[in-house]
Amino acid sequence: MSLVADKITLNRPKQSTDSMDSDSSEQARPLIRVSDFDFFYGDKQALFDVNMEMMENEVTAFIGPSGCGKSTLLRCINRMNDLVDVARIGRGTIEVSGANIYDPQVDTIELRKRVGMVFQKSNPFPKSIYENVVYGLRIQGINRKSTLDEAVERCLKGAALWEEVRDRLDTSGLSLSGGQQQRLCIARALAVEPDILLMDEPCSALDPVATAKVEELIHSLKDNYTIVIVTHNMQQAARVSDRTAFFYLGKLIEMGQTEQIFMSPNNEQTEAYISGRFG
Amino acid sequence: MSEADDKNRYNLASRRKTFLGLDKEQALKGLFGGNALVSIVVLALITFFLFREGIGFFGQYRDSLKLYRSSGLEYVEIMNEQSAAFSGLTRYLNSIREDQTQLLKEQGLAFREIKKVQARDNDFFYGFEDLGYPLREYVLEKKELAIASRNAYEEMENLKVFRSNLLAEGRTEEAAAVSIVELDLSATVDQIRSGREEFLALNDTIEKELEALLAEAPTFEAASLNAKVERLGELTRMFIAEMEEYENRLLEWDSTQSIGMGRAFVLFLFGEKWVTNSSIQDWYGLWPLFSGSLLVAIIAMFLAVPLGIGAAIYVNQVAGPREQNFIKPYIEFISAIPSVVIGFFGIAVFGQFIRNASNWEALAWLDVFPLAERLNAFTAGCLLALMAVPTIFTLAEDAINNVPKAFKEASLAMGATRWQTTVRIIVPTSLSGIISAVLLGFGRVIGETMVVLLCAGNRIAIPDFTEGLGVFFEPVHTMTGIIAQELGEVVHGSIHYRALFMVGMALFIISLLINYVAQKIVIKYQISRG
Repeated sequence: MSLVADKITLNRPKQSTDSMDSDSSEQARPLIRVSDFDFFYGDKQALFDVNMEMMENEVTAFIGPSGCGKSTLLRCINRMNDLVDVARIGRGTIEVSGANIYDPQVDTIELRKRVGMVFQKSNPFPKSIYENVVYGLRIQGINRKSTLDEAVERCLKGAALWEEVRDRLDTSGLSLSGGQQQRLCIARALAVEPDILLMDEPCSALDPVATAKVEELIHSLKDNYTIVIVTHNMQQAARVSDRTAFFYLGKLIEMGQTEQIFMSPNNEQTEAYISGRFG
Repeated sequence: MSEADDKNRYNLASRRKTFLGLDKEQALKGLFGGNALVSIVVLALITFFLFREGIGFFGQYRDSLKLYRSSGLEYVEIMNEQSAAFSGLTRYLNSIREDQTQLLKEQGLAFREIKKVQARDNDFFYGFEDLGYPLREYVLEKKELAIASRNAYEEMENLKVFRSNLLAEGRTEEAAAVSIVELDLSATVDQIRSGREEFLALNDTIEKELEALLAEAPTFEAASLNAKVERLGELTRMFIAEMEEYENRLLEWDSTQSIGMGRAFVLFLFGEKWVTNSSIQDWYGLWPLFSGSLLVAIIAMFLAVPLGIGAAIYVNQVAGPREQNFIKPYIEFISAIPSVVIGFFGIAVFGQFIRNASNWEALAWLDVFPLAERLNAFTAGCLLALMAVPTIFTLAEDAINNVPKAFKEASLAMGATRWQTTVRIIVPTSLSGIISAVLLGFGRVIGETMVVLLCAGNRIAIPDFTEGLGVFFEPVHTMTGIIAQELGEVVHGSIHYRALFMVGMALFIISLLINYVAQKIVIKYQISRG
């Protein structure tokens, strides 16, 4: 085990990303910075000393076997883990555009408006398509019909769903197919105009055709949003992301440009995982 | 390896032991299936028994109503109504005199002096009151006649049944010894009706005398008394106008007019009187009992619904695990309290408290306070609310708990507050479950017996809804209460006995409907969640 530990220290992600930054696109600016982050569920430590940065207007993919902490880290970024009673932070910070989101002064409501989330299982509310999209606006007290109509069209277009549902906005969100439901959830998340979209295995319950549509959508959303996606599907990570982070047993093993991670990983474990030898 | 071994290895025939041709699996299946079957059979038996005992009621009730008519009692009752209306007038008359006495007392007059002052108007007061006596006596005389003939008729009927029973047993000699005098009811009826001229003459006198008396009605110094005298004049004129109506009803009345089953049915379902063991006629009207049950249930639900649902939302959405572990068993524990204990508490503590509270200065602005009755619909309603809260709470909490966690997470992830999530997502999603919880709570309340029997006041009367808020503080009787109270004392097979069974049927049908609707709603709820 000590050997593994050494390797991890050698491959401190900070160093690797730093080195990557120099020869990649120069205008990339870190929007989310995780530093020395330890996280616990009760007595069980779920994340060990994670250090990483996610760039603005890029797609960052988290990969790794089940239980490696990638979803946990994702849910820490908009503080959804606050809902878990036993969850607590051991050490470290997460900054979003320079501000520590775990500062006691931070209002989680405001944070979550800035950092939207799409879940593994599509979960539209049992309301009409229209009401699903405008939910985020209604809770902010926006009820003007014209504003809402405009938002519905903009967000459904943004989620590439407008053409399919434009003439049945009054039907239940639950009447849509699985892929459509997931895109509706993305549209719903877009309505509050977040800067960052967190996606927790958004395609795991979808068939290949629906997956392709969502992936296409992620690609087009990149221009306006910073996206972090957790996926089990390595091909998906390769297809949609600019950078990839590999997690194992709660530790960030390696992070870098997606191409580099998949073509020439620096770490043996990364190589073993992406080539399918374990995980 | 030999061929036999090979064969043995692939022998798939069952090796399970059997008992009476059943193996263990089948026996278990039979046992549990049997348990389910027993409950279904018992329910069917209860339904059947209720129907069998209850359904004979309408026939008996119709016979009783027929006899009531053919014996002329109905005719007498019309005259009696008029006489009672006049008694109402004299009560009002006497209240004027009481008021006057009170006023004079306040002026410091002694009893003797008051009498002296009042002597001036004695002609008016006594004259008025005396007018009623001949009428009352006339009605009483006819009533006795009718009752006697009805009783004789019933006796004859009983004898007939007795004789036919003897014959059925083959005891012909004894049967022949039973002598039955055939009774002709129409003779009595003719006798009663023949007095019509006398009755009309009485009415004429009353009318004339009343008008004469009113013409010289006394006036007083106090304006309030004069107002009352004026009101008396109005009431009297109304009475005079109604006298003609009574006369017409008597003229139109026909002892041979038949009474259909539908009439008995309507009189049961919508009858406004529940009178038993009366010397004249028993009435079995559901309405006072039903309205009493409904009133108590409404009060109970008005209190229990906000409490139960509020607690369910709090426990499920707001409270921490430690609070949950305290509140949930605590509320559910309430349903473990025997209802007789709650009723006892209601009589001994709560009813008294309500009446004491109604005397507080701070509550004097409520015009229904202070209360005269310690036990009333409100007392019973409050205690029933206590009993309905656990039902509503448990079921509503289940419904809220069934809302997928994903909905809550999605809402919170969009920047909704906990309160917004509860109001906009959790409650609407679980609404049908909550509604069915409320309905089942209602079913619990309407079927509860002990508490209403002890605390509702048990006055058989339709609550007077014109009283405004006061209606909630009237003593009432309920469908469940009347069964518990009277079923132990009735003669097996009598109309009264069957009437109580019909009340039970009505309760059964109400509960069935409520449960049915609640289940429908729950099923719809499951579909809507996809």
